[in-house]
Amino acid sequence: MSELNQAGNSKKHMGLKAKQRLSNSLVYVMLVIISIVWLIPFVCIVLQSFRMESTGRVGYVIPQVWGLGNYTRLLETNFPRWYLNTLIIALVVAILQTIIVLCMSYTLSRFRFKIRKGLMQFMLILGMFPGILGMIILYRVLDDLGLTGLHAVPGLILVSVASSGMGYYVSKGFFDTIPKSLDEAARVDGANRMQVLNKIILPLSKPIVIYTVLTGFMGPWADFVFARYISQLKPLGMNVAVGLQSWLATDTMVHDNYTLFCAGGVVVALPVAILFMCLQKYYVEGVTGGAVKG
Amino acid sequence: MASVKLTNVKKVYDNHVTAVHDFNLDIADKEFIVFVGPSGCGKSTTLRMIAGLEEISGGTIEIDGEVVNDLQPKDRNIAMVFQNYALYPHMTVYDNIAFSLRLKKMPEDEVYERVTKAAEILGITEYLLRKPRALSGGQRQRVAIGRAMVRDSKVFLMDEPLSNLDAKLRNQMRAEIILLRQKLDTTFIYVTHDQTEAMTLGDRIVIMKDGYIQQVGTPTEVFDMPKNLFVAEFIGAPKMNIMDTKLFKEGGNYYVKPFGVKIPVDGEKGEALKSRGVSEQEIKLGVRPEHMSLFFEDGENRIPCTLEVNEMMGSELHLHVLAPDGTSLIIRVPTINLSTAQKKQIKNGARLYVGFTGQVMHFFDRKENNNLLV
Amino acid sequence: MAPTFLFQEHLKGRSMKKYTELEYLRLSKGKKFLYRLLSSLASIPEKLWNGIKGIGRFFAKFFLGIVHSFANLGKTFVNGDWKTKLSYFIMGFGNISRGQVLRGLLFLLFEVVFIFYMVWPQGGLYWLKMLPSLGLQGPEKGYDEILDQHILIPHDNSFRILLYGVLTIFFIVAFVYTWRANIRQNEIAEKILASGKKLKSGKQDLHSLVDDNFHKTLLALPLTGIIVFTVMPIIFMVLVAFTNYDAQHNGYTNALFSWVGLEEFRTIFSWDVGGVNYAATFGEILTWTLIWAFFATFTNYFLGIFVAMMINKKGIKIKKLWRTILVLTIAIPQFISLLYVSKMFDKNGIVNGALQSLGLTTSAIDFWGTPSLARIMVIVINIWIGIPYVMLIATGILMNIPADLYESARIDGASGWKQFTKITLPYMLFITGPYLLTSFTSNMNNFNVIYLLTGGGPTNAAASGAAGAVGHTDLLITWLFKITTQNEPKYGLASVIGILVFLVVAIISLVVYSRLPSVKNEEDFQ
Repeated sequence: MSELNQAGNSKKHMGLKAKQRLSNSLVYVMLVIISIVWLIPFVCIVLQSFRMESTGRVGYVIPQVWGLGNYTRLLETNFPRWYLNTLIIALVVAILQTIIVLCMSYTLSRFRFKIRKGLMQFMLILGMFPGILGMIILYRVLDDLGLTGLHAVPGLILVSVASSGMGYYVSKGFFDTIPKSLDEAARVDGANRMQVLNKIILPLSKPIVIYTVLTGFMGPWADFVFARYISQLKPLGMNVAVGLQSWLATDTMVHDNYTLFCAGGVVVALPVAILFMCLQKYYVEGVTGGAVKG
Repeated sequence: MASVKLTNVKKVYDNHVTAVHDFNLDIADKEFIVFVGPSGCGKSTTLRMIAGLEEISGGTIEIDGEVVNDLQPKDRNIAMVFQNYALYPHMTVYDNIAFSLRLKKMPEDEVYERVTKAAEILGITEYLLRKPRALSGGQRQRVAIGRAMVRDSKVFLMDEPLSNLDAKLRNQMRAEIILLRQKLDTTFIYVTHDQTEAMTLGDRIVIMKDGYIQQVGTPTEVFDMPKNLFVAEFIGAPKMNIMDTKLFKEGGNYYVKPFGVKIPVDGEKGEALKSRGVSEQEIKLGVRPEHMSLFFEDGENRIPCTLEVNEMMGSELHLHVLAPDGTSLIIRVPTINLSTAQKKQIKNGARLYVGFTGQVMHFFDRKENNNLLV
Repeated sequence: MAPTFLFQEHLKGRSMKKYTELEYLRLSKGKKFLYRLLSSLASIPEKLWNGIKGIGRFFAKFFLGIVHSFANLGKTFVNGDWKTKLSYFIMGFGNISRGQVLRGLLFLLFEVVFIFYMVWPQGGLYWLKMLPSLGLQGPEKGYDEILDQHILIPHDNSFRILLYGVLTIFFIVAFVYTWRANIRQNEIAEKILASGKKLKSGKQDLHSLVDDNFHKTLLALPLTGIIVFTVMPIIFMVLVAFTNYDAQHNGYTNALFSWVGLEEFRTIFSWDVGGVNYAATFGEILTWTLIWAFFATFTNYFLGIFVAMMINKKGIKIKKLWRTILVLTIAIPQFISLLYVSKMFDKNGIVNGALQSLGLTTSAIDFWGTPSLARIMVIVINIWIGIPYVMLIATGILMNIPADLYESARIDGASGWKQFTKITLPYMLFITGPYLLTSFTSNMNNFNVIYLLTGGGPTNAAASGAAGAVGHTDLLITWLFKITTQNEPKYGLASVIGILVFLVVAIISLVVYSRLPSVKNEEDFQ
């Protein structure tokens, strides 16, 4: 009986190994297919940005005539201005948003004050209103302040930064994992609350600070709705998203600008993607932490 | 170096749970006081109120005669060692210990003086440039103590400082705390759930349960004269045996009759009962395991029992026996008094006899569980 | 234990049978599932009712609190000393006279600013007075001598009236709150002085702003931003839903707009508004929004877990490379990738080009022109965008599942598939429950994917004539956007849709949240 069992087991064991090899090769095949699907659009966009023979869409991917013409053509358009606009917005938003988010999340994580719970529920409910709803009035208010159209950059910064306190979840989740006894030890050691934040908590929060800066920086590059509405499609007030989209608004425009759009897309995506890849570790930490905390 | 006085201190949490009821205690200058009790008894909350980490819902706390209720922790001049050490992970050991001194803007030379001196006392000089991550549990504990030591604070608070250490290290650190106390010569308030720590460290022990103080006294007082059943069972290990029985008088003398065995209450305890004129009543009779004697044959005042579990501790045996009515009793028997033949006789199911004298009895009333003699 | 066993009171005597826990255990698998499903459905009305009750209780408490505090104000006035009494009229007087100059001056400053603002000719009182009418005098015909033609001369401005009216109400509420705080301060100061203690000095006040009141310092900026740029706009837009603010009534240059009550709500639930069936249009878009959110969430979720498991599989090498390739769609701004992909699948796009040159199709497939195909396409392309997020999250969680769970399952004889359905998936669902909920609601409002891929199209002929050029892939949110940005915007209608979106999201969240396993049985996997 026991001998039989053993024999069966060893047979099973052999089978297991072969089975694993088979299933692993299956997984490799699928991963390669997935990778190709994921990469195709990006490869296409890069290849087409070097296409010199025509500006519209064509049925093939590899250019017949290679060249940097599309990139030099970018310089003759408003693109540099859009790029600068977006860069300024992204930098300022990244800094201010990080400050605001950290203030908010640290407070909600560490202080127990009367309206804390109510405040959190209130913000949860606020978050259920579609953000676009407030656009009309924000536009009018910014318009009164002269921050629309040509001067949309400060307006966009204001709008993006002002409500960023509501996105406190991820960093609050992070702060919650720093033991409270560290704060307490520091307070007993003679630190006031501000010193606790500066000398103990912030030095320990590098990952979440980087995460917040990164998401703050990346947001404006993709911001489309507000940017479009607030810039009112005034060429000098647009960001890259609105600007590049405006190049593809109609079919004739697509015909004239398609390769230009690709070149612009590459110039926008490259630095953002490289930055993201470098800081990927922190992004992953933030995203997973945030989802697990709920 | 200061006295601490707690008057009617109360803690009610936002969810209306009362963690501490009406806490009154005078702690003398340079006294070592221990708060002990099961988890959730309010001992840590009380300590944290003294530290200023927890708001005081009622009453006053004075340190050195000054009411500190509204003072921030940093303004109370206290030092504290936390259960999980709470070392700042991003700072070296040196910076950890120097943190409080630097906040006081002390000149670096003096900071150096003090930190190195404390490190020397604690034997952690060679780790000064390491981060806490690279230290063992015991070393971290020393750093935490060092951080509290350098401060010249009025009161030294310790919140279960040894509970994260393994048993061997805990014994060693306990001895070191006693030494430290002699060196520092300041007021200590120490919180623990471990009665052994409480007994060995404290000048006085405060035993708490459900937010109420059960008894305050020296280790001897709480061991010999527990105020109530809770204290009696909490102090001492294994815990005190409790038997339901009747206290009655015959010919002017008091007797108890556990499991139908009539035992006279003789000696001091008998005298005390007489002088207080305690009436006959149903009681809970307590006898500590180490105060019970083991016999191998029947005799006068001996309770016949069956051995259920035998725990060999090396120097002594812990025998779990069943009394005639099924009550479980524990007896501590030093192995030194047992012959080899007797040791062989001790096996599960064996018939054994248990006896004790009036001197070691504790009497608790059935209703309130209070000691009849306190 | 699962609370589904214990039936809600209001179900008693209805068609549902109640089982005890032991009876439940004897049911067949299908019956168990049915029973749980029915009982969870049956509890929805109660959930909603509880939610409404909760809101009611909140407001009751809120108003009782206000009544209570005003009653207290009366008492304080009667019992207070003359300094306190004077503070009812001159804010901060009590503080200044008791030596807390800094606090007092701030109170006083606030009062002065408030009074000035209110009595200013075009100030608070003016806006308040105009608020009920939203403007009395509309633009009138006039003659411009320079241009030599008849023009409209605008007078009142409904938009401004509504905006500043709301702001003024905010300001008044803030003033009343501060005024009450000012009196509370007197009350407390009297008490402290009576007990022989000293009041805090201005210097101490400033110090406390970095210590025990540090949270107030930290919250000041974020909360101001939220109130001004989120709360205020929302209140404003909710109010707009009750007006006829649109292109024909822009409130200033062509005609004033005014309060119309529930008119716009009635529009959206009407079968026939000038030949347009708004109710059907709304119903269709809402249905598609929910279908979209469901598929967008769950396809991403399960495929994301699947991909994560493949990459995490034992023996698979260069894990980092696979992950990095996937994460590219997060790294590259969506407008580039989505716009490009949208053009790729266009009639003359690269995909059709490739299909035709390979001879797979003879004529171009109109991916974006066919309603059902367009809908499938947005869901599929969304997978491309969405999988990487789930993959990252799932990777983190997969590595956290205790290995001994799998070991004990293997000893119990569970196959790989069983291990997945009995351990991995429940664990995953348990931890990511809240994430799934938020991802569902944010997919309902996923503007970017829809707008950049299809712009809402292809056009929905059945809804022609409805505001906002409705298309087959339009979500409520893109419809709302179109209504506000079209040539003749209908702001009132857009606000109504916004409110309805809020209601749908709130109801889903309310019902689902309390049923989430991680909320219901917090301890199960800990």
